[in-house]
Amino acid sequence: MMGLTRIGLAATLALIVSSLAPASAAQLVTDLSEHQVRIRSNFTGTQILLFGAVEVNNADERALDRDVVVVVTGPSRPVTVRRKERIAGIWINHDALTFPKVPGYYAVTSSRPLEVTADNALLQEKQIGVDNVNFGKPVAQSVDGSIETMSPGEERNFVKALIRNKKRDNLYINDPGGITFLGQTLFRANVDIPANVPVGLYTATVFLFHDGKVVDSISSPLYIDKSGLERFLYRFAHNDALLYGLIAVIGAAFAGWLGSAVMRQR
Amino acid sequence: MQIYLPIAELPVNVIMILAMGLVVGFLSGMFGVGGGFLMTPLLIFLGIPPAVAVGTQSTQVVASSVTGALAHWRNASIDFKMGGIMLVGGVFGSITGIYIFRLLTQIGQVDLMISVIYVIFLTIIGAMMLTESLRAIMAARSGKALPSNRGGQHSWIHGLPFKMRFRRSKLYTSVIPPIAIGYFVGMLSAIMGVGGGFIMVPAMIYLLRMPTSVVIGTSLFQIVFVSALTAVMHSVENQAVDAMLALLLVVGGVIGAQYGVRAATKLQGEQLRAMLAIIVLVMGLRLGWDLVTPPTDLYSITDVAPHS
Repeated sequence: MMGLTRIGLAATLALIVSSLAPASAAQLVTDLSEHQVRIRSNFTGTQILLFGAVEVNNADERALDRDVVVVVTGPSRPVTVRRKERIAGIWINHDALTFPKVPGYYAVTSSRPLEVTADNALLQEKQIGVDNVNFGKPVAQSVDGSIETMSPGEERNFVKALIRNKKRDNLYINDPGGITFLGQTLFRANVDIPANVPVGLYTATVFLFHDGKVVDSISSPLYIDKSGLERFLYRFAHNDALLYGLIAVIGAAFAGWLGSAVMRQR
Repeated sequence: MQIYLPIAELPVNVIMILAMGLVVGFLSGMFGVGGGFLMTPLLIFLGIPPAVAVGTQSTQVVASSVTGALAHWRNASIDFKMGGIMLVGGVFGSITGIYIFRLLTQIGQVDLMISVIYVIFLTIIGAMMLTESLRAIMAARSGKALPSNRGGQHSWIHGLPFKMRFRRSKLYTSVIPPIAIGYFVGMLSAIMGVGGGFIMVPAMIYLLRMPTSVVIGTSLFQIVFVSALTAVMHSVENQAVDAMLALLLVVGGVIGAQYGVRAATKLQGEQLRAMLAIIVLVMGLRLGWDLVTPPTDLYSITDVAPHS
């Protein structure tokens, strides 16, 4: 039911915006079903609907040559990747590589597989595709905390492991063919937002490719934040840590006293 | 029914957490243990980050130790002076533990350290409890009484300086051993998210030679304050106390403990102790197994905390 209304809404909105858009350079019109995701106590993940329209400037253009790619990226943070090694029979975190800017979330979806959309150099330059994200220059650390140098091949293993772990947590998503065209101009894509998603400012970028070249792109912001009680508790715990801790402890002590009082009654 | 935990930043099943709180609370009421040493590994198994599991569990320990300490206070089975001396050590131990915890988090070895400490303590204590309870069961069957472990002989502990008189415990002894025990247990409490009664009680009986009647009350009295300090420091230093998770654990624990206390009066002590020993032993072995088997992915990722 929800899905149907969303499609309806998307289609109507897309029709309106497409009829209003100027027919000059801008060939792409897009929007998101929501610009804000609120994480409340019942949050178990959600889906964002991205929709839009491609302008057709002249009748010669064939829809077949056009590709639409949608990239949604979350806020970047430093992330440490550690590799375990067996020492005295026990698996211990040994070498570590810290990447300075790793998007907490990255989803890419396209009308056709990326390999046939554009060549790899362009995809890398635009950071399109899970394997083409630039995590920045990493710093390697040994188990004793000393800085070490790592061969490019080894670094590549850590990068692969980072992507693999993020994919396993459903935070990096690759969905070729996830964009569906409704007729010649309208398109839509569903982007999964899992429950363990990091909070912050997200960007949804839609790229329009024509013959393997980017002809237009539009970015829209998406804000994911905790809301209500979740937001209150999180803010409280981080901004007034001492008071938060004291209240938690006093609350627990009170619950303990209550338990003892109840026990005595019986 | 799922609920999103604001600090752990993941959704958990409410019914499952409440059930875990009930079961652990039941066991803690039945055996008079805090239950932290069972709950913290369970939370980590569920995928709660170790720091959040430890920090939140110490809040739950506050609740269960307050319940226990109040009951002992009414029975006048607390040696406040001894408890206070141990608390001095406990405060410094807890601060040291928080510092070690933070250091280990930074170098990426905190999961390993928690697992190793748990494996050591769970297997040793499980094995000790199991042999002890099996011996008690055998003795009960053959109708012979067990010889008491408590003797009046003096040990090296009585040669230490800074002696003090503890009227309630009928002791005149050095303050160094209680401070040292308090320190050690405080440190474990901060790293493991436990009260530490399972180490403190035997230490007080066998090392300090305190009368058994005041041992549990006194240790609970001390645990209330050490775990309260630990919880506050975990929230200040690591922002690792999840109030939502703590609420679920406390509610489950308080209710479970009531039934545990009642069940304990109806069932046979030795068999129950043997049961608890087996649970403890199995958890220890399970954690140990995870340490030695090759992990499915050798690589793991962690967000670098903004403040470090």
